[in-house]
Amino acid sequence: MGFDLNFALASVPAILSAIGMTLLVAVTGCAGAASLGFCLEITRRAGGFAGYGVRFLIDFIRATPLLVWLYCLYFILPFYGLRLSALTVGILGLSLYYSGYLAEVFKAGIDAIPKGQPEAARALGIARLDTVIFVIAPQMLRNIAAPMGNYFVSILKSTPYLAVLAVPEMLGEAFDIASETYRYAEPLTIAGIIFLTLALIISQGVKWLERRLAASTVR
Amino acid sequence: MARKAPRRLHREMNRHLEHMDTMTLPLKKDLLFMPDTQDKRAVDITGLHKWYSAFHVLKDISLTVRQGSRIVICGPSGSGKSTLIRCINGLENYQQGTITLDGIRLGDNAKLTTLARRQTGMVFQSFNLFPHLTVLSNCTLALRKVSGLSRADAEGLAQHYLEKVHIPEQAHKFPTQLSGGQQQRVAIARALCMNPRLMLFDEPTSALDPEMIKEVLDVMTALAHDGMTMICVTHEMGFAREVADEVVFMDQGSIVEQASPATFFSTPSHPRARSFLNTLLH
Repeated sequence: MGFDLNFALASVPAILSAIGMTLLVAVTGCAGAASLGFCLEITRRAGGFAGYGVRFLIDFIRATPLLVWLYCLYFILPFYGLRLSALTVGILGLSLYYSGYLAEVFKAGIDAIPKGQPEAARALGIARLDTVIFVIAPQMLRNIAAPMGNYFVSILKSTPYLAVLAVPEMLGEAFDIASETYRYAEPLTIAGIIFLTLALIISQGVKWLERRLAASTVR
Repeated sequence: MARKAPRRLHREMNRHLEHMDTMTLPLKKDLLFMPDTQDKRAVDITGLHKWYSAFHVLKDISLTVRQGSRIVICGPSGSGKSTLIRCINGLENYQQGTITLDGIRLGDNAKLTTLARRQTGMVFQSFNLFPHLTVLSNCTLALRKVSGLSRADAEGLAQHYLEKVHIPEQAHKFPTQLSGGQQQRVAIARALCMNPRLMLFDEPTSALDPEMIKEVLDVMTALAHDGMTMICVTHEMGFAREVADEVVFMDQGSIVEQASPATFFSTPSHPRARSFLNTLLH
C-alpha cells in the first residue's frame, strides 16, 4: 500500500475544514496563556504570600503533563459540580499549562530591564500599574519576542492533544479519515504539512514583530 | 506637529500650569497638615540613619535646604551621597530620622507623601530614559498618566521644556539616537514637565564625555538662575563654585563639612575634605 497522491489530495478539504477549530484553540490558547502568564509573573514579583503561592503554582504547572491537566479539567471537575464543554477545557488547559512556561519567559524579559527604568517611573510619580503597562511590558516584549514566539508555535503544535476530548481539530479529523479508510499515510501527512505551514507563518510573524520592536530603539 | 505661535504656546502653558496646580492641590481635610507658607524650608532632614543590613550607609545626617537654594553634595565614592538624595524622593527607605519636604513629613501619610514626592524631580547618572518611547513621549508619559493631561496639552508642555533644554528638534527621535549629553538634557526636561519645586541630580554628568558635560551643566546653571531649588551630587567643582549656595562634603556616611563654596574651596577645615579637594583639583 503506497502513498496515493490522489487520495491525499482528496482528503485535504475534510482536514482543512477543521483548521478553523485548530486556529481558534491556538489563538485563544496563546492569548490566554500570555495574559495569565503575565499576571502570574507580576504577582510572583510582588512577593508576599501570594507571590510564594504563585511561585509554587508555576513550578507545579510546569512539572505536570498537559494531558493530566486536560483529563483532570474534563473528567474530575464535573464531580465538583463544574461541567465544562470539551472546547472550553481545551482552551483552558492549554492556557493554564503554557502560562507557567510563559511566566518564566516573562521573568527573563523583565529581569533584563535595567533597575533604573522602574525607578525613573517612580520618580515621576507614575503609579505602579501604569509603570507595568507603559514602561515594563513594552520593554519586556522587546526582550522576549523570539522565545515567546517559540511557545506560541508549541501551543499550536499541542492542539492535537485536544483530540482526546473529541474536539474536532485537524489531527482528529485526519485520524477519522484514517480509521474509516485504513489509509494512514495520506491524511496524517496532509495534517502534518498544514501544521508545518501554520508554524512557519507564526515564526515569520514573530520575526517581523521582533524587527519592528527593535526598530523603535536603533542602537 | 505644527509649531505653535510662541504667544499661543505661552498662554496654553499657563493654562496647563494652573490646571496642574489645581490637580496637585490636596483635599480640604489634608490642608490641616499643610505647612504654613512662611516656612521656607524645601527640605528638612534630621537625624537620618540608614543601614544596608549590617552596613551603616548614612550616619545621623541632618540637612536643611531653603527654598531657592542650591546645594552641592560631594565626597569620595561610597560616602553615601547618592543614597542620601535617593532617600529624599523615596527611592530608598531609611531606618531612623525624618525627612520633611515642603513641610510634609515623608511616611506620615501615604497620600501626602506621594504628593510631596511628585513635587520632586530626579535626574539620574544613567539618564534612565524610556528606550521604547520617543523623546516627546518620554516627557509626556507622566503628564498624561499622572497629571491627566490630554495628548495635545501634554505635548505642548513637553515641547516647551524641550526648548528650554535646547533640543526641541529631537522630539521625535528615540533616546538611543541621541548623544549622552542630549539624553541627559531630555531627562532634565522630562523631570521639569512635572513642574517640580525641588530638583535632585544624582551625578548627572558622571556618565558623559567631557565635551558633553558643559551642555548639561549649562542647562543646570540656567535652571539655578531661574530660582529652582536644587540638590546636586556632583564632582564638577567649577559648577559648585559658580552655582552652589552651599557645599556639603560627605565621607563614610556622615556630613563632614558644610560651607559656602568660597570657604570650602579656599579653606576647607576638615583634613578629609582637604585631601579630597587635593586629589580632585590636581
